[in-house]
Amino acid sequence: MSPRARLALLAAAGLALLPGAAATLGGLPAFGSRIAEYGARINALVPGERHVANMVSAINFDLRGLDTLGEEFMLLAAITGTVVLLRGRRGEGMTDRAMRRPGRAVRPQTEAVVLACRVAGVLTALFGLYVVLHATVTPGGGFQGGVILASATLLVYLGEGYVGWRDAVRSHWLDAMEGGGALLFALCGLVPMLVGAAFLQNVLPLGTFRDLFSGGLMLVENLGVALAVTGGFTQLFLEFMEETRAADGPEEPGEDSA
Amino acid sequence: MSHAMDVLPYAVAAWLFAVGLYGIASSRNLIHLVGCLSVCQSATYALLLGLGYRWGSVAPIFYDHPPGTPAVDPVVQALVLTDIVVGATLTALLLVLTVQVYKRGGSLDPETLRPMRGGRTPDSAPTSGSKAAP
Repeated sequence: MSPRARLALLAAAGLALLPGAAATLGGLPAFGSRIAEYGARINALVPGERHVANMVSAINFDLRGLDTLGEEFMLLAAITGTVVLLRGRRGEGMTDRAMRRPGRAVRPQTEAVVLACRVAGVLTALFGLYVVLHATVTPGGGFQGGVILASATLLVYLGEGYVGWRDAVRSHWLDAMEGGGALLFALCGLVPMLVGAAFLQNVLPLGTFRDLFSGGLMLVENLGVALAVTGGFTQLFLEFMEETRAADGPEEPGEDSA
Repeated sequence: MSHAMDVLPYAVAAWLFAVGLYGIASSRNLIHLVGCLSVCQSATYALLLGLGYRWGSVAPIFYDHPPGTPAVDPVVQALVLTDIVVGATLTALLLVLTVQVYKRGGSLDPETLRPMRGGRTPDSAPTSGSKAAP
């Protein structure tokens, strides 16, 4: 289909959908007028029932923990797919040493960059840990903190160079973090069943409201998510970065089976 | 607040989605296409957060405010969190597919995409002629 015909088709489809979309937009509750009853009930009940201050974490790890378990495995599957696609082409044998393309200049970082990255990297990692650990108290949680922690590893790359980064970040550790995090979350679902509770039921002591150790089982699930997200996203960075090192000449025959 | 403000966030969401969709349909570069998909997805953030907002409410975190303070809907915020995580990994997966398409065909233009043949080596597939010969 030519681009012009495709755009014409899109315009026709848009025109056909426009009345429905306009009716839907008009039928929605006026912006800012009220919130859904489910959310209002959660806001009213959960601080007392679960001793946590962060409602979003309470939904993710307790009330709708099963959905987060599914999301966790979706994350695992997407990252596994990414890694398989990239590594299948490149081969797995060379994943733990820094490859360098012959002929590409290695420019040493200036001292200012190294210093700034060492300072900012430590601070970023600390902030990531803070966001992870305070999931049930203040805004944040395993997903957000995990991404911040993964970003901190990129500052290691910026400051120490590629070889230093590969020395610090080991691929199989990342695999273990990613899979182990998902496993930890799954175990959080299964272990309560051993003591006669329901799947993912919050059986641990709930702790004190507004305290770091509040929320019971949520803290463990949050840790699993943080591990999986940190490992998974760092793995993504690593695989994409390794891709820029791969030779871009014609491939050897027989390597093309991926 | 005027009537326009009542629907403005939803209109922004619809506009973002439409712009992203137009970009996808008219894209001549797969990386640009992945970016357009992210724009489409931003529309869902705007829609969900708009649906869960209420004037005069605080964030659903009861640390500085005592429980019972009117707060916005936490369910849609949790949904948006899921949405962002899914979006990030999906973008990574699509970019990897883009890398593979470029390696196979030597082009990022979706117009030049052809169905894959069953051949296991590039030599047995006559359509991969655009690959640079050594």
